[in-house]
Amino acid sequence: MIRFDNVAYRYGDGEGGISNVNLRVEKGELLAVIGPSGSGKSTLLKLLAGFMEPQSGSIWIDGKDVSGVAARHRDLGIVFQSYALFPHMTVLENVAYPLRLRGVDRAERAERAIKALGEVGLSSAADRLPATLSGGQQQRVALARALVYQPKALLLDEPLSALDASLRTEMRDLITHVQRTAQIATIHVTHDQEEALSMADRIAVVHRGEILQVASPKDLYDKPFNATVAAFVGKANLWVGDVVSSACVRTEFGDITCDASDWVAGDRVNVMVRPEAIIPLTGDQNPKHAANCFDGTLVQDRFLGAVRRYDLSIAGSVITGETGDRGSLSRISIPSDSVRLLPLQDD
Amino acid sequence: MGLTTFLYSVYLLAPIALLLVGSFGATWTNTLLPTGFTFDWYATVAEDPSFRRAFLTSLEVVAATCVINVLLGVPFAYAVFSAANRGVRLAARIFTLLPVAVPELVLGFGFIIVFSSDVLPWLGSTWLLICAHCVLTLPYLVGTLLTDMDRLGISEMEKVAETLSAGFWRRFIDIVLPSIRYSLLSGLMMVSAISIGEFQISNLISGFLSRTYPVVLLQAFYGATGLACAATVILIVLALLAAGGGAFGARLTRMRQKVRV
Repeated sequence: MIRFDNVAYRYGDGEGGISNVNLRVEKGELLAVIGPSGSGKSTLLKLLAGFMEPQSGSIWIDGKDVSGVAARHRDLGIVFQSYALFPHMTVLENVAYPLRLRGVDRAERAERAIKALGEVGLSSAADRLPATLSGGQQQRVALARALVYQPKALLLDEPLSALDASLRTEMRDLITHVQRTAQIATIHVTHDQEEALSMADRIAVVHRGEILQVASPKDLYDKPFNATVAAFVGKANLWVGDVVSSACVRTEFGDITCDASDWVAGDRVNVMVRPEAIIPLTGDQNPKHAANCFDGTLVQDRFLGAVRRYDLSIAGSVITGETGDRGSLSRISIPSDSVRLLPLQDD
Repeated sequence: MGLTTFLYSVYLLAPIALLLVGSFGATWTNTLLPTGFTFDWYATVAEDPSFRRAFLTSLEVVAATCVINVLLGVPFAYAVFSAANRGVRLAARIFTLLPVAVPELVLGFGFIIVFSSDVLPWLGSTWLLICAHCVLTLPYLVGTLLTDMDRLGISEMEKVAETLSAGFWRRFIDIVLPSIRYSLLSGLMMVSAISIGEFQISNLISGFLSRTYPVVLLQAFYGATGLACAATVILIVLALLAAGGGAFGARLTRMRQKVRV
């Protein structure tokens, strides 16, 4: 189990770092930390790994405060983006190295290393040198090496960023499978929100050194804490609006009927609607029950294969929608239950 | 392009080829090529006590220079590489480049002033010569090592090793040294080649009995052409041997890489 208690670290130049971070990762849980570059997610990892010490607050691993404990005594497994395999050692030697450091005898470490390689599907490459492996295979070796000594937690630092898109999906499944089998607390730092959504039990969104929200992937997507989270996780339409009543909000392009019961009339809010929730009304299709219907002009139309992403200009505002429909488009409907009102943010 | 390469190769190799031809020529005065064929010049060089002594001195200086370079250069390069402070890294890099930037003549003169006094009367000793060669060659080794340490991603590998619970010495022995071994060998080849051919400082600070091969070779230039050619060819062979030895060493290291689990 990993715990961050009010952890803060600011770099000398005042730029970057983290402040007031409180986090908890349970045994067997995979927590993804996402955020734009420079948001502080790597700082979080460096502090946990022991490469840096927090300026205030404390970090706990398995119930022990690890302040002042050197990285090599923290018993964590780390996988870096660059794999960082030792090029002069064979795959088996790489995986057995942490066991050698722990004084495990030769026969046992060979056995355990081969088993770990088997778990990542690489037993056949045991005698090869890292340079002869593909990127994906190297990443598997790095994963096996980080897990072979049964560390207290696993830290993944952008582990898939250097891989091809097709390989990335395969590796996501492998990592989650191995992680679940090992039942190990895992922190996965990534800037790829899709990767986080598909792999994590919970996701922490970091922005400017602070954790904005920690939630399950579904909650994070459906109920973002604010516009920043909404914009970072998935695509989102965000408009500024004024609450008119408990069931209506006024935007630049018109009134939208929705649940505004948590707000008071006159409140300024960010109105969020996910693009896939917007329903295009093509041809003469104009059901009477369709709520929040708007007419506009198509300004952008992008064919993405399975879906088509379009921008509709309505009274000077742009509404982005996604649909599988390939017909002509000029009218849309925004279902009331897809509208979420978020606190207004200036930036 | 091809023609330029050809002309450049001729320009580069012709003097060496002529030296080789000249070393086997019986006489060579005012003609394009020498006349007659003989091994006598090589025999003369081999029998000459001053050449023999200089040859051995050169080997001794090269070997000692290499050893000291390894002992000083590797830890120094590693310390500079690991220094967290960018200013320290920059200062160290400039400092190591100084001996390259300063003309050898100036460096030699400095040695003469410092070590000819009664307080430090060591001018002319072999070990002072070795020291001078180290000053000259160390920047090349450190430069090679630093470049390769950056390129090989040593810092990330070290970080991983640290999390796997390797202490400083374990990381240095298990990760850093093996990673830089080819770099070290190629650096030492350069060090040997520079040390073998070094003339300026050696000429200024070596004593009569500690003269290196190139210093004695200069004397041969004033004698018979064949003798000068033969003595020069030996220097070339010596330099090539150093380079070849380095390459062979690198190959051996690769072959002997044992499977350690």
